[in-house]
Amino acid sequence: MRTNKPQMVMVAVMVCGFAVGMAGFLNFFKYRSNADSMLRDRLVVTGNAIESNIQALLALGLQFSDLGTLPGTLERERATDDLIMSIEIFDVDGKMLYSTDRLRASRQVAPAWMAAARQAKGADWFVKDGTESAAATGIQNNFGVLIGWVALRYSEDQVKAGTNAVARNIAVTTFAVFLAAAAVASMALLMLMNRLAREFETVESALRSGDPLRPSDAASTGPFGYALRRFFETLRKAEAEIAGLRSSLEQGARR
Amino acid sequence: MNQSYLRSIYLRLAGVLMVIVMLALGASAYLSHRTFEHALAPELSKKVASGGASVRALVLKAMENGIGFKQLFGVEQSFDDLKTAIPEVSYVALTGVQGQVEYQRFTAPPGAEDHFRKPEVLAALTTPEFVPAAMRVGNQYVVSMPVVSPKGPVGMLHVGVGVDFVDRIILDMLYDVLVILVVALFFTLELLNFMAGTRLEASLKALGETIERGANGDFTRSGARESSTTFSALLQMLEAARARVGTAYEKLLHDIEQRRRGPAHERPANLAQVQAGLLALQNRYSFGQDDGATRNREGLLARVRAPLFIFILAEEMTRPFLPGYIKGLLVPIPGLSPEIVVGLPIALFMFIVAICQPFLGAYSERVGNRHTMLIGAGIAAFGFAATAFAGSVLDLLIWRSLCALGYAMVFVAGQAHVLEHASSKNRARSFSLFVGAIMVATVCGPSIGGILADNIGERMTFGISALLALGSMFAVRQLPGQSTTDPNRTAPRAPSWREIGSLLVNRRFMTVTGLAAMPAKIVLTGMCFYLVPLYVLSIGSTQSVVGRILMLYAVVMVVFSPLAAAAAATRERMEHLVGLGLLISGLGGLLMLSGGQVGWVFAATFFVGVGQSLSIAAQSALVREHCDTEVAVMGESSVYGVYRLLERLGNAAGPLIAAVLVMSFGYRTSFVVIGAMAMVCGATFMAVTRRSHQPALAAA
Repeated sequence: MRTNKPQMVMVAVMVCGFAVGMAGFLNFFKYRSNADSMLRDRLVVTGNAIESNIQALLALGLQFSDLGTLPGTLERERATDDLIMSIEIFDVDGKMLYSTDRLRASRQVAPAWMAAARQAKGADWFVKDGTESAAATGIQNNFGVLIGWVALRYSEDQVKAGTNAVARNIAVTTFAVFLAAAAVASMALLMLMNRLAREFETVESALRSGDPLRPSDAASTGPFGYALRRFFETLRKAEAEIAGLRSSLEQGARR
Repeated sequence: MNQSYLRSIYLRLAGVLMVIVMLALGASAYLSHRTFEHALAPELSKKVASGGASVRALVLKAMENGIGFKQLFGVEQSFDDLKTAIPEVSYVALTGVQGQVEYQRFTAPPGAEDHFRKPEVLAALTTPEFVPAAMRVGNQYVVSMPVVSPKGPVGMLHVGVGVDFVDRIILDMLYDVLVILVVALFFTLELLNFMAGTRLEASLKALGETIERGANGDFTRSGARESSTTFSALLQMLEAARARVGTAYEKLLHDIEQRRRGPAHERPANLAQVQAGLLALQNRYSFGQDDGATRNREGLLARVRAPLFIFILAEEMTRPFLPGYIKGLLVPIPGLSPEIVVGLPIALFMFIVAICQPFLGAYSERVGNRHTMLIGAGIAAFGFAATAFAGSVLDLLIWRSLCALGYAMVFVAGQAHVLEHASSKNRARSFSLFVGAIMVATVCGPSIGGILADNIGERMTFGISALLALGSMFAVRQLPGQSTTDPNRTAPRAPSWREIGSLLVNRRFMTVTGLAAMPAKIVLTGMCFYLVPLYVLSIGSTQSVVGRILMLYAVVMVVFSPLAAAAAATRERMEHLVGLGLLISGLGGLLMLSGGQVGWVFAATFFVGVGQSLSIAAQSALVREHCDTEVAVMGESSVYGVYRLLERLGNAAGPLIAAVLVMSFGYRTSFVVIGAMAMVCGATFMAVTRRSHQPALAAA
């Protein structure tokens, strides 16, 4: 019996590939979304701490553009997290007021940051743009008016390196699970098909042995048993009738 | 016999495969748990350290102002603030330089006090800027941060996070994994059917036919069977046994004929008696040669399932996120509210499918079904790819129109292929093959589409739809190029305007179409394709959830439709099912009065699914029951053509009606209004059809 074995292996490989592949894909994206949200939360927590500090200073009546102790605070906060490349504070017009990176202190704020700030309408915003990636928190004065932003600049490449390492790990484990599952599934399907083949081989061999019109019990059991019994019964009856007519014909001819 | 046996083989194969896939998904979840723990614990400790730095700064500030470490006030309150900022925090403690606990909040992990006194933990006091990695203490990861003033070490701040945060992430994925499992099951059955089933089914059918023919006394010689059938050896043996009887009969016939032609004195005396016996034999059994045309037709019929499944899957994948995607591309259009504009591409798609189908039937007849399917899939693939790059809702309208045209072409040509290769005996089974492919795609598409859109974005998911549509073209190429049309079958034609006009004013026709079919479709597209995706996103849920809701609708349809179809045996029952279906669908909409959470949307969609599955088969059959006079005059294809056209116009109207309602009343009320409208239609339909059964009063 031909048992469609290659097709069965293909089915096993494709189904396992789909299910395990989708699971691996979900694992990676779940990791990425969690890692991203942890990163954002972590930067926002630091940003909020700086914002509270600035508000405390503003409450003392100091000018936003003239907070003498702020650079030291910013430097200390930057040192707490190796991901942060610089902490920058700028006003709503995009004028840089403070930065832990002296080279950037005199520059204009990146256009992508300003666009994100405008869209955010006072809420926290995030920009993913290589070394210009940032998470920012709004700074409000004592009357609740937005007066500027504290942005924590970080390197997206560093984050990507970590994500890629996890992606490799997930890919390897997913591939290993896929290989194991596909192998086991292929073997299981082939075993089932072999069992099916045996059912037919039993009928086949029973038909081969002995009188083909009087098959053994083996042929009359199994999935086709009842139908086969009817098949051979009708065949026997028809053959008997034909033989009867022939015999009558021969007898008539002899007489 | 062969069908139930084949089903048992499929179930055994699919069952084994599903158990292995479940184990594989379990292994994948276990391994990803380890990976997540390994990769996310350091990230979480850094996040916690960022929050902890604020608490540490407060402590140092207080001490700078001369307050002693043990006299600090409001430390627990700052711990609460930390918990508010980072909800994952399970425990916070401030210890002295020896590791003794001075202040603490929340639940300490077992063994915390011993851990704080460990020399390797206290060693951090000498490197105040360094934040050590999180360490596992009992059921928490603890980050220990040194608190060092300019005068020297003061103590340590310990922040604990429960290790179950990874469990929560894995549990979050559980629904998606379950969706993958369900889709994998349907995918398995489709693949088994496509890759092995067609051949296995054909072989089993051939074997079953041979046995059945022999058992019924049919000893006609079959035309040459394919030698590559699965059970060819067994089949040949049985055919040989049948042929043996056939040959014996032919030999007997030949001998009788010879004797009959011989000289009268040589003829056997009982020749007439033998001839009478032969005649009786001929009446009881069949001998000679058969034609074998039906067998070829069935093989060709099954080949359409795979391309249809892949193509419809491409479109169904876009259902959960399409309204949200359109919303993101909105531009102001004078005179149209944003809600209407969001509904426009969906309505336009349905409208094009509705109006193109009657004409595409004739086109497909002219150029061939395979050719029409190929062109349709190509147009749709281009439409999907262009949709992925759409800049605004205006160009999106053009690209979605192309998708609609392609969809209509593939649908019409696929249907025509089934009609062409189905015999009158197996027409119902052949259509179940067509509907089955669509239903399976409806189950798998939205759920997978939602997951993909959530993770890789809507544009990339449209790209995948384009690839699937292209993939379906390869499967379409397996279909026969030249049609083998049944000469007795009449060619399809579009209904004329006159026929449309006369049916539109026909009360019996409009009772089924206007009161049942159109409202049912308005509920389907208005609620499921427009309101559900937008509402679920508006309450902060995800596209994956929308996909699961639409999947529930399809699963309910798959489960209930056959039951309802079996129950629709008489006209009265059909009318009850249609009315009841609309009432239940409407009840789904009204359920939104009870609450606005996602659970209620699931419940509403479940009711819509049950209602639709009750009415869908009965509605279609009722057209024939109500309009037998019109069918006799215009022909079945015209009456059904107008019925389908109006039904699909209901599809197009659904999103627009829902949009107008949303604009005026908001989402939840729109569900309720559409539901109420369906219930009113259902009740009216039941009243009208019941009245038509009541005997008219005879004049006195």
